[in-house]
Amino acid sequence: MTDASKTELVVEDVHKYLGGLHILQGASFTAERGSIVSLLGASGSGKTTLLRCIAGLEQPEVGRIRIGGKVMLDCDQRLTIAPERRNIGLVFQSYALWPHRSVMENVAYGLKLRGIDKITAARRVQETLERIGLGHLADRYPDQLSGGQQQRVAICRALVYQPRVLLMDEPLSNLDAKLREEARYWIRKLVLDLEICGVLVTHDQSEALAASDNILLLRNGAIVQQGAPQDIYARPASFYAADFLGANNVASGRIERTADGASIRGPNWALDGVLVGDTGEGEGKAVIRVEKIGIHGAPAEGRIAMQLDACLYLGDRWEYRLSYGDLQAKAFGPKALPSGPVWAEIPRDGVWLFPAAA
Amino acid sequence: MSAQETHSGVARGGGTAVVSGRPSSPPRPMPRPGEALAFRRSVIGLLALAVLAPIGLILYQSFLDGPFFIAKSRPGFSAYLYVLTDPMFYEALTNTVIMAVGMVAIAVPLGTALAFLLTRTDVKFRGLLEVVVLVPMFISAIVLAFGYTVSIGPSGFVSMLARSVFGFVPWNLYTLGGIVLVTGLSHVPHVYLYVSAAMRNLPSDLEEAARSIGAPLWRVGLDVTAPMVLPALIFVAVLNLMIGFEMFGVPLVLGDPSGITVLTTYVYKLTTLFGVPTYQLMAVVVVLLVLLTLPLVWFQRRLLRNSRRYAALGGKGGRTTAMRLGTRGQVIALSAIGLWLFFSVALPIGGIVLRAFVDAWGQGVNPFAHLTLKHFANLLEVPRLYHGILNTILIAVVGGAVAVGIYLLVGLAGHRSKDRASTLLDYIVLLPRAMPNLVTGLAFFWLFLFVPFLVPFRPTLVSLFTAYLIMGLAYGLRLLQGTLIQVSPELEEAARTTGATVTRAWRDVVIPIIRPGLVGAWALIMIVFLRDYATGVYLMSAGTEVIGSLIVSLLQSGAMDIIAALAFVSILLTGAGLGLALRLGAKLHD
Repeated sequence: MTDASKTELVVEDVHKYLGGLHILQGASFTAERGSIVSLLGASGSGKTTLLRCIAGLEQPEVGRIRIGGKVMLDCDQRLTIAPERRNIGLVFQSYALWPHRSVMENVAYGLKLRGIDKITAARRVQETLERIGLGHLADRYPDQLSGGQQQRVAICRALVYQPRVLLMDEPLSNLDAKLREEARYWIRKLVLDLEICGVLVTHDQSEALAASDNILLLRNGAIVQQGAPQDIYARPASFYAADFLGANNVASGRIERTADGASIRGPNWALDGVLVGDTGEGEGKAVIRVEKIGIHGAPAEGRIAMQLDACLYLGDRWEYRLSYGDLQAKAFGPKALPSGPVWAEIPRDGVWLFPAAA
Repeated sequence: MSAQETHSGVARGGGTAVVSGRPSSPPRPMPRPGEALAFRRSVIGLLALAVLAPIGLILYQSFLDGPFFIAKSRPGFSAYLYVLTDPMFYEALTNTVIMAVGMVAIAVPLGTALAFLLTRTDVKFRGLLEVVVLVPMFISAIVLAFGYTVSIGPSGFVSMLARSVFGFVPWNLYTLGGIVLVTGLSHVPHVYLYVSAAMRNLPSDLEEAARSIGAPLWRVGLDVTAPMVLPALIFVAVLNLMIGFEMFGVPLVLGDPSGITVLTTYVYKLTTLFGVPTYQLMAVVVVLLVLLTLPLVWFQRRLLRNSRRYAALGGKGGRTTAMRLGTRGQVIALSAIGLWLFFSVALPIGGIVLRAFVDAWGQGVNPFAHLTLKHFANLLEVPRLYHGILNTILIAVVGGAVAVGIYLLVGLAGHRSKDRASTLLDYIVLLPRAMPNLVTGLAFFWLFLFVPFLVPFRPTLVSLFTAYLIMGLAYGLRLLQGTLIQVSPELEEAARTTGATVTRAWRDVVIPIIRPGLVGAWALIMIVFLRDYATGVYLMSAGTEVIGSLIVSLLQSGAMDIIAALAFVSILLTGAGLGLALRLGAKLHD
């Protein structure tokens, strides 16, 4: 999976303090050409700070960063390179297009700074704009563009001069839902086609899952887990990671080891599950992805009797509100069901058990 | 964030991750490269020199027993001893305090009432009034004071009219009371400006709640609106107290005839009191005056920091609806504003306009039968007079533009900087603020006498411009910083990450974006330079005359005709400057 020759960005043990707060607590990862790494986390998790440290806009106190094989930051050597010399592209959440410059001038600025002659620059800008379908807007000013167009210009501006790393800070958060789904597709395609190294900051799990090759899940300034999207979704290592991704049912109870695995038990309910990590017996929590629970009208081997309290229509499917003793749960299904007793099928490996402290 | 949480990180999937467990005390911060530190530090260093050198010279002079340029002057406290035992000094000090406190007592309530009417109620002609009420602020104080002399002074037009009706003049302008009244009423705009800014952002619901339970409008203003802008009121009271301490033009014109002195006019008197220059005594008074104002500047700065916190609280975007005055209310409000405008604008300006065009008036004389243009002919014939007018225009228009350029460099030097030099900058700017403009001019006069390589520049506009630059520093820098801060940091950061150095980012992104703000600042600085009369008093020599300093020196000889003509020109120029400022979209209400 890791190919050293393709590695563009190496971040090692980066710590950042703000006043007395330790807002980045040792982030390390690598990113490669032709792939996207997502920094995923809730607000305040430090993901944007980490991105700004890579860009050189913030100075961490501890750590090392290399871009394209060159050392950009080495706190032990007290060496740090200014943002303009890091050869990166940064796409801001607000796009930060310069209002006094046309689209052409905005995009061409990086080329101008690199001493590329006007004619070549104009040709390259035009090519890049055409590539994302904005060729006809070169002479417009930012305030004459829609949000989606501005966002594409901002990406053009950041990659027209072929930076080693393209950093994107929540580039999609100001777009409406439909545009967002389109954008995450073409951003991924662009990064793969142009063989650049992309780093995407997002708080939106579906964006991270859909657009990236590798996800770093951050919490309180520390990386909680990292891995491929399928991996991180299917095998969360902690309660936080399990609960942050996907739509979940969470139950608190007492975890006990059984002959064939483990189970969690409430006052009037019990579920079989699997222990994650070094979880032992005692108070704990269970996480069950909503889509893992199947609802049936008839009992069968391994099905649990539950009470269906209500059905909510979501358009493409139905949401069932269930109770099982004092356990409340959600599940999806294709059709409306009458309230009353139903039977739920929950595979054992769909019930992840974590210690309460995590 | 607890310790347990931070240890939950486990690496999975590709590559290595998470290393934790560093010591929890923050290590030494890393340097920030590419922040143009050399530029920032040299600009702030030069500025510090330009501010500290004149102040240092004054301080040094105050501890000598003779002028600093005379070799036999010895260090000592004799000058302090002289001043502190001079009854005249204590009289001047008392008068200064009475004048400043009296001025605040008049200006703050009236300015607050004016701000309340213009921002919270539906008073008629609001758009027009918002500009007109600022006029007294833009006109040179010496011109205003002269305007009062010719209209309601002992032999003014209105006084003559009163004498022909009552047989005597029922008022005497040349008293401390007269000075307090004139300064108080002419500083209403200074109060209005700040208080209206604070009131504009208040949401209306609190006032509406008071009205709905039956409070009349004046009670709403007194009990609800005013307390909500209390920080702004305190701030503006301190500001005006300081302006009061530094006032020179009005007490000079109105106090001199009856021998009333304040600290600034006392300093000015010392120049001419003895045959030889008594620099050491002047320096002592200046030091004492600065000691009086410096705490106010510091206090004001603290208040400003806290009031920003208030502003953030008020900025929730609450809806503001104007309270209805009703017919009776409109009549009362407009009459009160009209009366004030009559006294503060129409009376002095009308007096000057009339006085500039007549050559005879008095009891039983119809001034309109004696209209003449010959005072203006004088202006064109006497070289120092027309030089003065040209110099005033030059220093305002060209000097103003250069000054904005320099304030921009200073503003950029401190822009988004965490460097220690930018903290120093904050304090440097306070110092000239504590010095009356007369003193700033005096300090630079000494500097241009004293420093060898500066001596040739003394009789040129360079010396005058340098003094004006420092005189306008606090206001100009505030304008520029206010404009710079409006450029979103991301626009600059986008330039940096695209590959621009910080100076390149300023040149290509920041400055083009703030260009309209720069033009507006230029217009406002132009007005500040136009209206000033005190900075040039000591620096005046053949070649460095300006209208204001000419008026000050002509007052000694009592050449009223020429003063009237100069004052008229000054009003015209200020009007032109104000028109230009409005045209260029300068924000008068900042």
